[in-house]
Amino acid sequence: MLMVVMVVCARFGSREISLAEAFSAWRSGQVNIDYQILVRARMPRILLAGLVGAALACSGVVLQAVLRNPLADPYILGVSSGAGLGVMIASIFGLTWTATGISIMSLPAFAGAIGTVWLVWVVGYFTSRGRMTNLLLAGVVVNAFFSAIIMFLTSTATAHQLRTTVYWLMGTIAPQSYATLAVTAGFIFAGIAVLVVYASRLNVLTFGDAEAADMGIDAGRVRAVILAVAALITAVAVSISGLIGFVGLIIPHGMRLIVGPDHRRLLPLSAIAGATLLIIADTIARSSFGAEELPVGVITAIAGGPFFLVLLARYSRKVGWA
Amino acid sequence: MDVIISVKDLQFAYDGQPPVLHNLDFEVSKGEFVGIVGPNGAGKSTLMNILCGQLKPTAGQALFESSAIDTYSKRSLAQKMAVVRQAANPIFDFSVEEIVMMGRTPYSGPLGISGSIDFAAANKAMELTDTAGFAGRSLAELSQGERQRVYIARALAQDTEVLLLDEPTSFLDWKHQVGIYDMLKRLQTQQQKTIIAISHELNLTGQYCDKVLLLGSDDYYAFGKCAEQLTAENISRVFDVEVAAALWDGVSIFFPRGKGA
Repeated sequence: MLMVVMVVCARFGSREISLAEAFSAWRSGQVNIDYQILVRARMPRILLAGLVGAALACSGVVLQAVLRNPLADPYILGVSSGAGLGVMIASIFGLTWTATGISIMSLPAFAGAIGTVWLVWVVGYFTSRGRMTNLLLAGVVVNAFFSAIIMFLTSTATAHQLRTTVYWLMGTIAPQSYATLAVTAGFIFAGIAVLVVYASRLNVLTFGDAEAADMGIDAGRVRAVILAVAALITAVAVSISGLIGFVGLIIPHGMRLIVGPDHRRLLPLSAIAGATLLIIADTIARSSFGAEELPVGVITAIAGGPFFLVLLARYSRKVGWA
Repeated sequence: MDVIISVKDLQFAYDGQPPVLHNLDFEVSKGEFVGIVGPNGAGKSTLMNILCGQLKPTAGQALFESSAIDTYSKRSLAQKMAVVRQAANPIFDFSVEEIVMMGRTPYSGPLGISGSIDFAAANKAMELTDTAGFAGRSLAELSQGERQRVYIARALAQDTEVLLLDEPTSFLDWKHQVGIYDMLKRLQTQQQKTIIAISHELNLTGQYCDKVLLLGSDDYYAFGKCAEQLTAENISRVFDVEVAAALWDGVSIFFPRGKGA
């Protein structure tokens, strides 16, 4: 499924290319334009979109489980904007993300993401005295606050930087070098692998800390590991693609309906589904308006906003908020 | 009989608050069925959390097989004692079988892969609790009584000597209350389980349990055989209400007596 989508999406773009042409070039060793576009521009971008989608989807799955709130996702909880703020502050202090790529920009992104997780956790935990009902609220507030600071920084940025920054914030998957791609892939695959190892413990943790302890699980330690890994893969994703919302929300819920809530199945399948969704969204973003590109975050938000409202209405009724 | 759990001069106070448990002393032997009764706030659940290692005594000792409970690792304790708590609804729709399989967590390897021993233990647990018939269904589709049986099945899958239950019959009607206690009694007599159950059902406790711990809100408590300790006088003392008692088929039954209009 993922493979088919990758091949089909490689076909679309602002310029028509023929895969057959490109392949004949690859076989004969004679480089033509179609081959150039495919290998230099489209393939890295498709792979990157897939990686970002997988990271955001898995991050969403585990955040929902650990916080025991089906409305959680890295974007809504402010983890993404925390990472984004980290990147912005770093870039203001003279670090550029275009030249140095992932190796440097991921550090402030990770600091921002993990700081946000901690902040949301502390605020949510203490205001609801351990029952975690306020976590989502705390996340929304932190998200709004960080977004405001990001807006402030954006508006004071020079006009030259502005367009790049704004585009990055809206979620844009810019073409990257294969080296960046490899590092990104390493971090994200390793992160997802750790989460899969913790999957069965995560299942038990969704029943609560006391029950997890009854099964011999150290809930605090497992949660710390999972939140740190979720923050890391979100940070890596955000540092290369900006703020892309709702992938971490739509995919976990969709996949839970299909394969059930067991994280041993749910995590790997959500990674594949998240990758597929974002590759499709990014293909739409770069091909539907001719030479003019849309930020992919716009596509996911337009699709995800209504989905979130439906989910909120259904969940509120179940919990009795409404 | 071998003592499996012993509590010696146990005290407990939550941080900065007056003590909840005062100088408790009692012993539970292997294969016994012990009921814990007492008013709200007497510290029944606190005591259970000490017994399962989630809280540490402020003073005194709680021992499992003559070692302090808080010296066991969480994992090894989970192989010796299983807990059935007042069931909260899980936020995700796990199936009955998936939930029962979670009882195998204390035995799982680092990757959490289930083996044939795990499936055998889960299947046996579902048979003993009569939950195998809805193994594939979601908990949300089940009645309260069925859900309680699923949680007991998960505790049985843990394959422990001791079973701790916190109000296993709350929210259940009489038929299902009796059903749960009949099942616990079978687990005691046929599976040699040691069972400790907190309950507000004095009359069920009296009918099914070998021993009872009456826990008062002050420093009063009584522990011993139901026939000796579960008396109108002790109950009245612990619950601070007038109690009427009657003998029926050789079993004492109790009623709270209102002051009337």
